[in-house]
Amino acid sequence: MSFVDIDRALLGREFDRASYGPIELDEILAYARLIGEQVDASDPVAPPSFVVKLRGDRALPDFVVQQLRSGGFDAGKDIEFGADIRPGDVLSVATSVHDIYEKTGRSGSMVFLVLRTVIRNQRGELVAYVDQRMMQKGA
Amino acid sequence: MSVLEIGDELPAVEIELSSAFVADYARGVGMDWGRFTSHEEARAQGLPGQIAPGNLSLALLSRCLLRWAPGMRLARLGTTFRAPVVADQTVTVRGNVVEHHVHADRTITFECEVWMESAEGDRLVVGTATLEESMGLGG
Repeated sequence: MSFVDIDRALLGREFDRASYGPIELDEILAYARLIGEQVDASDPVAPPSFVVKLRGDRALPDFVVQQLRSGGFDAGKDIEFGADIRPGDVLSVATSVHDIYEKTGRSGSMVFLVLRTVIRNQRGELVAYVDQRMMQKGA
Repeated sequence: MSVLEIGDELPAVEIELSSAFVADYARGVGMDWGRFTSHEEARAQGLPGQIAPGNLSLALLSRCLLRWAPGMRLARLGTTFRAPVVADQTVTVRGNVVEHHVHADRTITFECEVWMESAEGDRLVVGTATLEESMGLGG
């Protein structure tokens, strides 16, 4: 069993939705400290990578967890950044299975599963698309 | 006036990834799993040692990009985690500017390559990024 066995009908189906906030200044400052970043106290904006800590309630759907029993790891992330995150923002985080594809490289066949997280603020503005690529060795 | 030009090499930034730094990040973002917090637990899972979460590598690339280009906005960041980033090593983040585009809305975008390498020069994390600069109203 592997990612290729996942029913393609599940593509695009949201499996997690969560809400964060209101985001507090202390949370932004604490995150910035963790990565050695500085925040302008006069206009506090969260570092862009703050978005990857917003993972929702379920990091992975059950059918992906089952497939991961045969191996797999986080191969990377692609992020498009939109509106800044500031104190007081309330963020909605929705995640779905965005894509499944196979690729052949020097080390053989690989299967990728892409989870897309869409983050919006209380004004409905896009804060970020976060595409997480999970990889498994192919057959 | 932009500080970046095509072909610019972004100044190398050395980052000491101590075990404590990595563990603090993992705990701070709710990823306090053994592989991220302890060499022993990571080795028990078949890893070469305590590893940095991919999200931390991504955050460090983001931090370096914005320090290289103060005042610019990070519009996009794509990362590929090529090899485990083991704690208790000094890594170096490097990058360069490969393209720039002037847009009708008076923004300039710079396409950059960015990567994190080990002391041996192995590229552990590679990525591409788009930095955006507004030309303002004065032009």
